Amino acid sequence: MEKSIETIWKEGFLKDDALVAPKLNDLYNQKSIDIVEKFKRMYKINRIAIIAFAILIIPISYITKMIYMGIPMSLLFISVSFIAQKFSKQLDNIDKNTSSYDYLSSFDKWVQDMIFVNSKLSTFMYPYIFTAMVIGFWFIDLNGTTGGALFVNGFISEFPNTTLVNGFPVLLLIPYFIIIGILAFFGGRIGRWDINLVYGGILSRLKDLLSDMEDLKN
Amino acid sequence: MSSDFYTTQILPYAAIIIKICRAYTNTQEDFEDYYQEVCLQIWRSRDNFKGQSTWSTWIYRLTLNVCLTFLKKKNNNSQNNTSDLLPDEVLVDSKVFSDESLSQLYDAIKQLSEIDRGVILLYLEEKSYQEIADIMGTNTNNIGVRISRIKERLKKILN
Repeated sequence: MEKSIETIWKEGFLKDDALVAPKLNDLYNQKSIDIVEKFKRMYKINRIAIIAFAILIIPISYITKMIYMGIPMSLLFISVSFIAQKFSKQLDNIDKNTSSYDYLSSFDKWVQDMIFVNSKLSTFMYPYIFTAMVIGFWFIDLNGTTGGALFVNGFISEFPNTTLVNGFPVLLLIPYFIIIGILAFFGGRIGRWDINLVYGGILSRLKDLLSDMEDLKN
Repeated sequence: MSSDFYTTQILPYAAIIIKICRAYTNTQEDFEDYYQEVCLQIWRSRDNFKGQSTWSTWIYRLTLNVCLTFLKKKNNNSQNNTSDLLPDEVLVDSKVFSDESLSQLYDAIKQLSEIDRGVILLYLEEKSYQEIADIMGTNTNNIGVRISRIKERLKKILN
């Protein structure tokens, strides 16, 4: 007589050894490697993007007649890529022959160092970018004259009593320095926000996994 | 996860987890991944167990949820990936159960929809309609009809 599915189920498991639970080994190890490797891939892509930007900004700024912005921007991004390269080497040197917890802790320390340096760097980087942009627009070639000259002419006609130093209205230095100050003040925060935007998901997984492993140790 | 928690709270119910994970996976590697993930989720979510159901019912529910989530993620990944991995049907382990009829039944169950797989597994585990409805988040009236339909389909596949 044909067996019912209920009988197949009951009898099958009675005589079968398929209910032996697999060993829970290497779970955290696999997860740790997975997280770090994923981060490494993302970090590498980010570095390549920075280098590509540093190279491409020169011809783009030349075409758009803003070479005075392109050169300092390129120099900045080349410097950033060198710093990222240095961090990347440190990341490769993290000792893998330790426990998953030690490996992840070392990685976490590396992440914190990287965030710290990037935050500090951002304090200078955003004012620098702003200054480069101002210089770029100031010296942009507009049919034989510069953007700065046109702007000063317009400004003087609006404010004829303004004081000029080497042809530059001193009054304009006030908003410039205010913006620089704000960017320097918030630069660190913007830098951290930027890192969070790119790596937030993976860093949150790292935090969860470390917390799990700390629970496991206790 | 402490080995004590695993030994006392999970291992006695490993059969439940194994039976469900087997129905949602085709390879031993996938099965072990699902099993480990379920164990990890049970441990992580242990504080959410409020005793409103039995521990075993809670494990059924959590195991099904993890398997369905894993399967969904996997399907999404395979859709987004132009991967060089072999498709699942090529990777199917040839022999999971020594009992031929059980192997065939599992193969048939895997042809059902994800939800129907969950329903029939719970039915075969002799869960009441009420428990099945609770675990699957549906109402009891539908369960009986659905089970009859699934059994008919399984019979057709098996024959």
